Parts: sequence; structure tokens; C-alpha cells
Amino acid sequence: MASIKATGLVKRYGTVKAVHGIDFEIADGEFVAILGPSGCGKSSTMRMIAGLETVSEGTIEIDGKVVNDVRARDRNVAMSFESYALYPTISIYENIAFPLRSAGMNADEIDRRVRDIAEKMELVPLLGLKPQGLSSGQAQRVGLARALVRKPSVFLLDEPISHLDTRQRYRMRRFIKQLHQQYHYTMIYVTHDQEEALALADRVMVMSNGLIQQMAPPDEIYARPVNAFVAGFVGEPPINFFDCRLARDGGRWTLAFEGQTLTLPERLSDKAAQLGSEALAAVRPHFLSIGANGPLVLEGKVFVTEELQDQNLVMVDVGKVRFTLVAHPSVRPRRGEVVPLTIDADHLLLFPQDNSRRIDDDLAA
Amino acid sequence: MYELKAVHKRYGLAKVALRKIDLTVRDKEFLVIYGPAGAGKSTILNILAGITRPTTGDVLRDGVSILHLPPERRDAAMAFENYALYSHLSVGENLAFPLHARGMARAEIDQRVKRIAEILGIGHLLDRRPGFLSGGQRQRVALGRAIIRPADIYLLDEPVGHLDAKLRHKIRAELKALADDLNATVVFTTTSSREALALGDRVAVLNQGRLEQIGTPADLYHRPANAFVASFVGDPPMSFITVEPRREADRVAFVTPDGMPVATLRADALDGLRPADASIQVGFRSNEVRLAQQGDSAALRGRVDVIEHLGHSKIALVGIGRDQVSVSVPAHTSIHVGEEVAIAFPRDAVHLFQDARAVVHAVPSV
Repeated sequence: MASIKATGLVKRYGTVKAVHGIDFEIADGEFVAILGPSGCGKSSTMRMIAGLETVSEGTIEIDGKVVNDVRARDRNVAMSFESYALYPTISIYENIAFPLRSAGMNADEIDRRVRDIAEKMELVPLLGLKPQGLSSGQAQRVGLARALVRKPSVFLLDEPISHLDTRQRYRMRRFIKQLHQQYHYTMIYVTHDQEEALALADRVMVMSNGLIQQMAPPDEIYARPVNAFVAGFVGEPPINFFDCRLARDGGRWTLAFEGQTLTLPERLSDKAAQLGSEALAAVRPHFLSIGANGPLVLEGKVFVTEELQDQNLVMVDVGKVRFTLVAHPSVRPRRGEVVPLTIDADHLLLFPQDNSRRIDDDLAA
Repeated sequence: MYELKAVHKRYGLAKVALRKIDLTVRDKEFLVIYGPAGAGKSTILNILAGITRPTTGDVLRDGVSILHLPPERRDAAMAFENYALYSHLSVGENLAFPLHARGMARAEIDQRVKRIAEILGIGHLLDRRPGFLSGGQRQRVALGRAIIRPADIYLLDEPVGHLDAKLRHKIRAELKALADDLNATVVFTTTSSREALALGDRVAVLNQGRLEQIGTPADLYHRPANAFVASFVGDPPMSFITVEPRREADRVAFVTPDGMPVATLRADALDGLRPADASIQVGFRSNEVRLAQQGDSAALRGRVDVIEHLGHSKIALVGIGRDQVSVSVPAHTSIHVGEEVAIAFPRDAVHLFQDARAVVHAVPSV
């Protein structure tokens, strides 16, 4: 068990700054996901906690003691890496047993632990094999098993389930979550996958450009993103953004976009006044519907409908902007059909435009 | 039309990649091959392309065997998972390559390169060399190079697997529209249920070299042939409860080992059910069940083991005896781990499996 605290944490690689001075606290037994695109500083942060990178400035404390100068192996921190470096010449069994043998545990206890974790992670049939025959998903599970078998005080998981198929992903995710609930390890899970972060963590720390953008429970991150970056990075299908002009018309604010004008709900008046004439508007796909179902109605042209069976995703073009909406499976508009598109007035979000530029293009990939 | 006839593929002595596969790719269809890693998906593409030769079996195009045809004479456009770009050429030249090879006019080439690059969001990278791109960018170039030219068949091997969620979503829609516009025949492999359902006119579910089922997305989702397909198609996967049958006049009630009733079906709907010496399971999708309210007659009681946030909704994983059932609830629902809950389910949304084979599906009306 361990709590973690970072104060003014900076990481520099030569002249390049990867982490720009961040502060956070992780409580004993808490499960935190660090979420962000590649290059956001999440892995550097994790590696500093593990002791694999030096701290350029600031401090890291584990259980109230500054550990900047404590070696990695003396921190009782275990890790599973994306690049699951397994030892190629020994069996899967021996790979999993390795950290226990290094710690001098007796053979019976090692055998019990290895078989226990192998059963939970469906690795029993693989125990006699060497790593080279494994698929990447299998290798990933072995890497995870090797980290978990030690039962250390802090688990750091770096994209441990990024290569798995849908069914295995759910299985592993639930396994990790139940493991956490059962043993209350302090866990830090580094990922670029927003779905994993929301599904697993007690709190999500969203990072971009070496800074923490927001750190909050999953429902809050999703419903009340502090800025456009967080709004855009979290949510599947992704949130819809559109640049718009704001203007005052008598007592109410209006939003103009692609030649169409909407009167903003009272709720957004203060926000609009604060933003001035230009804003970035956003609405989640679940809060858009086809039909004129309220005061905020746009007109658009259907691009594609994806029938996912439990729901349909409909893509609708309004001018140059493509909106995605989630609809009932019975809603199947034809391609090219012109349809009214209603924005749920309670769930329209407004952000400053200057925060928007880094959202659209080429985030990670 | 392409046909694989009893295609068997063995690598070396021990590794069997495909086990006697019969598979038809219809003209102008978008066929998705969906399966876990190691299922044999890429091997099917390589056999269609002529890169790999089946150990036994035949490959036909419009009824004529093409086994002897080398890849360059098959007119298949292929995008590999591992990119295989020309490192000494720029992105623009990589995209233009298949068009130059066909002797297309310069102006037309420029126009096509521009359009494809725009669709894939790589318009700003045209002058760069592949070595200066991220994995996701390289993958988009590889996809672009495959779809830029007319071809008899497009073979796309997990072409968006390395992209982030947002780009995958965007490019998926573009790809579907493009395939529609071009009336193209496409075979596309993936490990994502969402991608398979969204893109496929038909989906072939492959597992350990076997074809488990092929059908429309609706077939696979509502009428899975077996428990593997049921648990593999749909996001989140279907959950199962093990039950015992109890015959009551013209009905059969299925109850949990603890005696809780799960479903009651008319006996004449259960022709496929054998006398019970085999394991019987009832399958549920997370959106076919809900938390019971007062007045619900049939309800299963259990305890919440895990809660997963998915943004707009969350999934409660409820332990019932030795099984766990996923229940989808709105995000604002107040529910906690450890809480005792009751689950209600519509009587017609039942999937029944015996020895992992589907016996009956009562499909909910949409």
C-alpha cells in the first residue's frame, strides 16, 4: 500500500521539456488512469514514479518520503510495459516466476502463485511454451501476469491491454478492476485509450503538452470537461465540434454557423458574454437527434449510417462540418437525404476558439 | 466472385492456420473477416492475393481456378498491417506509384492523390518521407496507396488498427462511403466488433482457422450460431448464465442452479434441445436486460461485482451464482459495487445455447 505525491514535477530530455511542472496526489489504494495522446508526458511521468527516469525538477513522494534518489528496485513498484519484454529463452512459467525467484521465495509458494495468476489470466495452456510462439495479445497477458504476481505496493501499467480484441479487452479490464477491488493496490494505468481509462479508474488524469488538463472521476471528465482538449479526447464516438460566431440579439445570444443561426439557451448567456464574438461549440453524439425536436435545429445532409445493431451511428454534414449522432436502430436515413438535426439545448458546450486548434488534426496518430 | 474451396493451410508441420475453409466473396460486397489474433485472417487475404498458396483446396475467380496465377496477374490491391511503404519516396509519390505503374496522365494522378490524401487526413504530409511519419500516419498512407487505384478486389489487413479512436471513427465512415461509391469488392480484417458491424455487408467470424459463422451483421448479432460468435460479436460481449431445464406441461422453464427462474419457453420451440446431459446456457446482451423495478415479475437477484464507466452509460457486471451478467445503465444511475440488485429481462430476448451451440433465438422486435 502506498500513496504518491508529485510536486512541481518537471522532466527534461536535453533541451526538450516533456513534463512541464505538474502537481498531483494519488491516495493509498486509489486507481488512477493517466490518459493522453503520444508525446503528452504520461509515460515520462510514470517512469519517474517507477524510478526509471531521473526527476529534472520537483519531487516525488511515496508514503510521504521523497524518493527522487531511491533506486527503482528499492521502491516496491511493479510494472507491466507495452513492449512486454519477455525473456525469450525460458518458458512462460519461468517468465512469470522470475520476479519471485529473484526475491528468493520458496518453490511451493512460487508454484502456487504462478498457477493462480495463470488460471485467472487464461495462461495455463501456455505455461510450458517459450515466448516466441505467442501472439502479441498472449505476450501482453504474460507481461501483465509477471507484474501482478509480485503483489507489490504500487502497480504501474503502461498500455497493458492495447493489442487485445474486443472480448479479451473486456475480460482483462474486468480482471484488473476486480484485482484492484480485492487487494486495494495503488494502481496507475497509463493509456491513450479513453475507454479503458473511464472504465477502469477511480480518477482520470488527462494530460496534454506535458501538463495536467483535468483530474477527476470518469463521469465528471465526460460530462464536465474543463476545456476543449478534454472534451475532444474523451468520448466514443467522439464529440462534435464546430466553430461559430456569437452575437447579441436583444436579450438573447445567438450562434451562427455555416449560414444557419440558433438562439442560445439562457443557461449559456453568461458563457457567451464572456467568450465574445467567436467560440468553439461542442455537442456529444448522444445529444443530437434527427428531426425537429427542440429549439436548436440545424439542417444537414446524411453522409453514412453505420448499423451497430444495438444503435445506429449517423453521420450528417452541415456545410463543411460532419456531425456524428447516436440513434435508435430503427433510424436509417438514406445517404444524401436532407434532414433536420436537433441539438439538445441542455448539453451544448461552448469553449474559447484558441483552445480548439490543437484538437482537430492529427492528435496522436 | 471469389471462392475459397476447402482451403487448408499449414505452416511447417505443426501450425495450422486455416482448417478446410469454404468462403465466398460476392461481387461488390464489403466482406469483413473478424476474429481474434491468430485466427487466420491475414492468411485468407494472402491466399486471395496469391502471396500464399493453400496447402490443399482451391481458389476460384468467377468459377475458374486462379491457384496458378501469380500476385501481379490478379489485380488485387492490398494494404498490409505492417505498411510496406517505399522509404525512398515521399508520401505523395508512394500514393501515386500504383497510378504511374498504370500509365495514368499526370493531371489525373495529382487529382486522385489530392482527393485520397484529403479523405485520409494526410494532405499536409505529401512531401514527407515515410521514415518521418508516426505509425498511424504510415498506416493511412498504406491504406491510401491500396484504395487509390481501380482494382478487381481490395484486400485490407487491419488497415486502421494503429490509429487512435477518433481517426478510426472518421476513416471508417469515409471507407464505407468510398466503397459504396466505387461499387468495390472489399475484404477487410479486424479484431474490433464495432468495426466489423459498422462496415460489413457480411461478416465472417473466424476462430483458430475455422469459420464459425458468416452472415449479415444482424444475423451475427441477433442469431449467433454458437456461444463463441455470441460472445465475440457485440460490444460489450454477451453474458451467459448456466441453467437447468424443468419441463412443465407444454413449457420448459430454465432455472439457475440456485433455483432462480431465468426464462420459460414453449416446448415446441425447443426442437434442437437434447435431453439434459449437456450444459445449457442462456445468453443476454447488456441492453436486453435492465435493473428491475417494483412490479417486475421475473427477476434475477445478484450482487454488483464491477462498474465500468463508458461515458454516456455504464455497465454493471452483476454476479449471479457463478456467472456474471453485464447490464447497461444510464450514466447517472446510482449503483455501487457490492450492492444487491435484481435484473429484469424481456421474455422474448433470450438466446439459448446447449454445448455452446445455439438452440433458439427469440429476437426482440425493433
